[in-house]
Amino acid sequence: MNIITQPQLVSWLDSIAKERPLIAPRNVAGVLLYRPVENSSEIAWGPTRPLMSVKDVLFPPTERLLTIEKVGLEVKLTDTFPEGNVVVFGVRPCDARGMQVLDALFIDTEPVDPYYARRRGNTTLIGMACREMGPSCFCTSMGGAPDDTSGADIFLTELPGGFVLQVLTEKGEALLSELSLAGFYGELPKPSYNRPLNLVERDAWPTHFNDEYWESMAERCLSCRICAYVCPTCRCFAVRDEALLAPGQFERIRCWDSCAGENYRRIAGGHKPRAEKGERLRNRFMCKFYYYSEQYGLDKTVACTGCGRCVDACPVSVDITEVLAEFGR
Amino acid sequence: MYEPKIIAFLCTWCSYTGADSAGIARLKSPANIRAIRVPCSGRVSPEIIMRTFDQGADGVLVLGCHIGECHYDTGNHRTAKRLPIVQALMEFAGLDPQRLRLDWVSASEGERFANITNEFVDGVRALGPVRWRVTSNQLRAACERVLPSIEPVEYTASDCAGKTEAIRARVKELLSSREADCAIGYEVSPRGRTRPTFVYRPEDVERLVWNPDCTHNLTTYLREKLHPEKGKETPKKVAVVVKPCDSRAINVLVAENAFEREQVYAIGVVCDGIADGKGSLQTRCATCAERIPFVYDTLIGDPSTHDTKPSSPVAPGIAQLSESTSAERMEFWLSQFDRCIRCYACRQACPMCDCPTCLYERDDSTWVGMGIGLNEKRTFHLGRAYHLAGRCIGCNECERVCPMNIPIGYLNQKLVQEIENTFAFRAGLTPVVSPIVTVLAGEYKEG
Amino acid sequence: MNDTTYQNPMMPYLGKITEVRDLASEIKLFRVKMLNGGSQAFADYKPGQFAFVSAFGYGEAPFGIANVPQRGPYLDFAVNRLGNVTTALHELGDGDLIGVRGPMGNWFPMEEFRDKNLIVIGGGIGGAPLRPVIQHVLDHRAEYGHLTILWAARHPSLLVFTDEYDEWSAAPDIELHLTVDNPDQQWDRNVGLITQLLEKVAPSPLNAVTITCGPPVMIHFVGKLLEKMSFDPAQNYVTLEARMHCGLGKCGRCNLGEKLVCVDGPVFTMKEAGELLESFL
Repeated sequence: MNIITQPQLVSWLDSIAKERPLIAPRNVAGVLLYRPVENSSEIAWGPTRPLMSVKDVLFPPTERLLTIEKVGLEVKLTDTFPEGNVVVFGVRPCDARGMQVLDALFIDTEPVDPYYARRRGNTTLIGMACREMGPSCFCTSMGGAPDDTSGADIFLTELPGGFVLQVLTEKGEALLSELSLAGFYGELPKPSYNRPLNLVERDAWPTHFNDEYWESMAERCLSCRICAYVCPTCRCFAVRDEALLAPGQFERIRCWDSCAGENYRRIAGGHKPRAEKGERLRNRFMCKFYYYSEQYGLDKTVACTGCGRCVDACPVSVDITEVLAEFGR
Repeated sequence: MYEPKIIAFLCTWCSYTGADSAGIARLKSPANIRAIRVPCSGRVSPEIIMRTFDQGADGVLVLGCHIGECHYDTGNHRTAKRLPIVQALMEFAGLDPQRLRLDWVSASEGERFANITNEFVDGVRALGPVRWRVTSNQLRAACERVLPSIEPVEYTASDCAGKTEAIRARVKELLSSREADCAIGYEVSPRGRTRPTFVYRPEDVERLVWNPDCTHNLTTYLREKLHPEKGKETPKKVAVVVKPCDSRAINVLVAENAFEREQVYAIGVVCDGIADGKGSLQTRCATCAERIPFVYDTLIGDPSTHDTKPSSPVAPGIAQLSESTSAERMEFWLSQFDRCIRCYACRQACPMCDCPTCLYERDDSTWVGMGIGLNEKRTFHLGRAYHLAGRCIGCNECERVCPMNIPIGYLNQKLVQEIENTFAFRAGLTPVVSPIVTVLAGEYKEG
Repeated sequence: MNDTTYQNPMMPYLGKITEVRDLASEIKLFRVKMLNGGSQAFADYKPGQFAFVSAFGYGEAPFGIANVPQRGPYLDFAVNRLGNVTTALHELGDGDLIGVRGPMGNWFPMEEFRDKNLIVIGGGIGGAPLRPVIQHVLDHRAEYGHLTILWAARHPSLLVFTDEYDEWSAAPDIELHLTVDNPDQQWDRNVGLITQLLEKVAPSPLNAVTITCGPPVMIHFVGKLLEKMSFDPAQNYVTLEARMHCGLGKCGRCNLGEKLVCVDGPVFTMKEAGELLESFL
């Protein structure tokens, strides 16, 4: 472990930003988001996690998959893969764990998704420990912690005047090659933890499938998509061809979608499974806590990282921790 | 040299023939005009106009028959009503108003056709090409612009305890006597946040509260409650707690046949306004003069104790935006829409937005593509604002629920002002449809 | 990670339509010859598998492959015109290029069905994914026992593969039964729901497997009836449909509980389908 002082960190980040896109928490019209910064002065230093997760960087809201050119009877298809190295600074442990959850789906399960895999390969994550857990955070109940280093390439823990820096991967190593830092031999400061939630066993989730609870807890849901979009692990997407302005030119794009939407499962012809809000929310929670790990391994853990974003962002205060508490009794 | 692309919607009976007359008389009309022939100018819906600009038109001209001469009697009346509203909206969004023009040309007025088209093209040419585009630097700079807001207004909501008791008592009576099957009100979550709740049994009324955080517009749940899916039993009557603004939504929905007035029991609350989460009054409340709901079957609270003057006249942000240049306005709005993630929370929170398939979410991408890109987001927000013209009751929940702090309420408020200025109409005061909506049977539901 | 090692499973192969014919009202059969790498990818697929067909400029949708590779080399797709992509496909004709991704999903375990009696139950366009099963049995007649085909539609104009019924009936040890809900003037066969036909034909569950495909509600009632007729749910096979966007198990849309229809299905036994947390109805 090393120590990096605040001035050293700032100058290092500035030099990174000169070579390639640096993404960091930035205040955009009053909203804290992971966004490209031109230099370290644009970074918003503060204890709170950004509203959206790092998922935006590796799995963007809209992504072009291929271009389609129709010329007479001929058709030409071209992959459009993402290029370029990116560094993300200030990644909270809940977000880095979120990346691991998505890795299980996009990379560790065949077939490999080449778009996500390329971005993942081209991205270096500099994690940052949280000093304390926020009122809606529950990462410690989901197998994480505010100082959990998993998923990061480099990990920083705040100290007065600087940070403890841990290099965790070769990618991290490569980013630090120009720096020479003093060693750290002390103890890492321990963040304060919230009270853990009483959780139901993962394998007990199916026994709750037919509970009447789902219908009543979902009544206030607006069927918007905020919870899925702010979530570090939600990954449902839609694929469609869109026309480009030039005639005969199209792009096949994918973009975020959510099972909370009313028409998510509607089949052409009109049949609409999960017509009830309770069925949709049940699907979302069961996927998070049971289906996802059944499908993609994840060492049989849950696909929720306990970041609490959905709790804060839901306009009608649907609360995932209440669902956990209901079943954890 | 730059030549603008102008799309002209010409009606078969008058202006298209007028264009022909111009040709026959060898009058010079500009070649930039690409004519689209429609049966009537009334066919040209504002969505078509907005789509035309989205697809790269630099100017849009709509020419119909003179008023009183429409082949379909009142088709051009529709255009005359709707087009100025979409013009005001596009202008507010940063499109120069000179790019959209509505005029009247009869079949024999070849010269008039030539004059109008030449004048229009010259005007649009001078403005240069439409650029619904901003560079990332412009975006960054525009993001920093914070519109003026009202001074924070400290306030205390009066008699919350009394109102809570009264609501509980009334709901208990309604549910016990089976007059209503369900009551929609507010509760406090275990985490301490006020949120919507649904009560079915009299013994559960203790959940209901009234406090300064009762911000949600609960009428948004009425339609789905009264039209349940999959053959579930339709409730006879649903009770709902409404503030003055919310109650106006009941009138709008009844006028639009979303449900019958008798199916709703409105528990109207005399309102001091709602808090913004930081101890002050929400802006929409500070600019609101209404204390007593417009629709209620029972009134909670004492109307005589409340001041009826708003603390501030109108959102200063709108005034400032209106004073900016077109380019500044466009930059401002594009910088706001850039943050949008198309979560549709604004639409879902709105009681009036309830089309079975939203125009902007169609599988065939007819009106807008599926992607979460700047052009798509602009199309969605402007289109939605237009769809709410004459229907928006100003609860501003759309803005409150936005996770990205996008001031979309301004779009709706702008059109509320336009509708009021043009038609002397405010939505939801009585159960009457929006003045820019045509009811084809010609019958209006009068309140 | 080395960029170049990843294949792109979202990139379709090009296929050329060689024949389009009307199969039934609003249902067309497209015969597609795969070009270049596609012919290799589709050299060997099994009955029950599906593919994503692209109408370029509109999008993609999953369709069961309606023939066996041995009768190829071509792919048959039966397309019911219902939505955006299917309407675009219906506009296409001979010589037009489409995209095909696949083969996807699991398949009917034809080896396990050897020496057994097969009862194939198809409703409406549900007959399309069952046709390769029938073709396989016809082409390997000696390996299978008795074949009973129960074929239904709401109306005679909606029966699919009518011009192949003679070929099917002519093969040894096969019986073909047809039924429609609403007959027309010319109809001279059974009238009634497929469940009524099934009760009438009353096939024996001994050493038999059933394979059903059709609207979800039909599968549900057929399943119930088969149980009543002493068929074990584990010997009843179904192929299910769900809205899909990737077909690869990534986009998350087609799940029925913890199973994904695109990778864990679309073929399930009725026992498995019944054990799914979420009903397919």
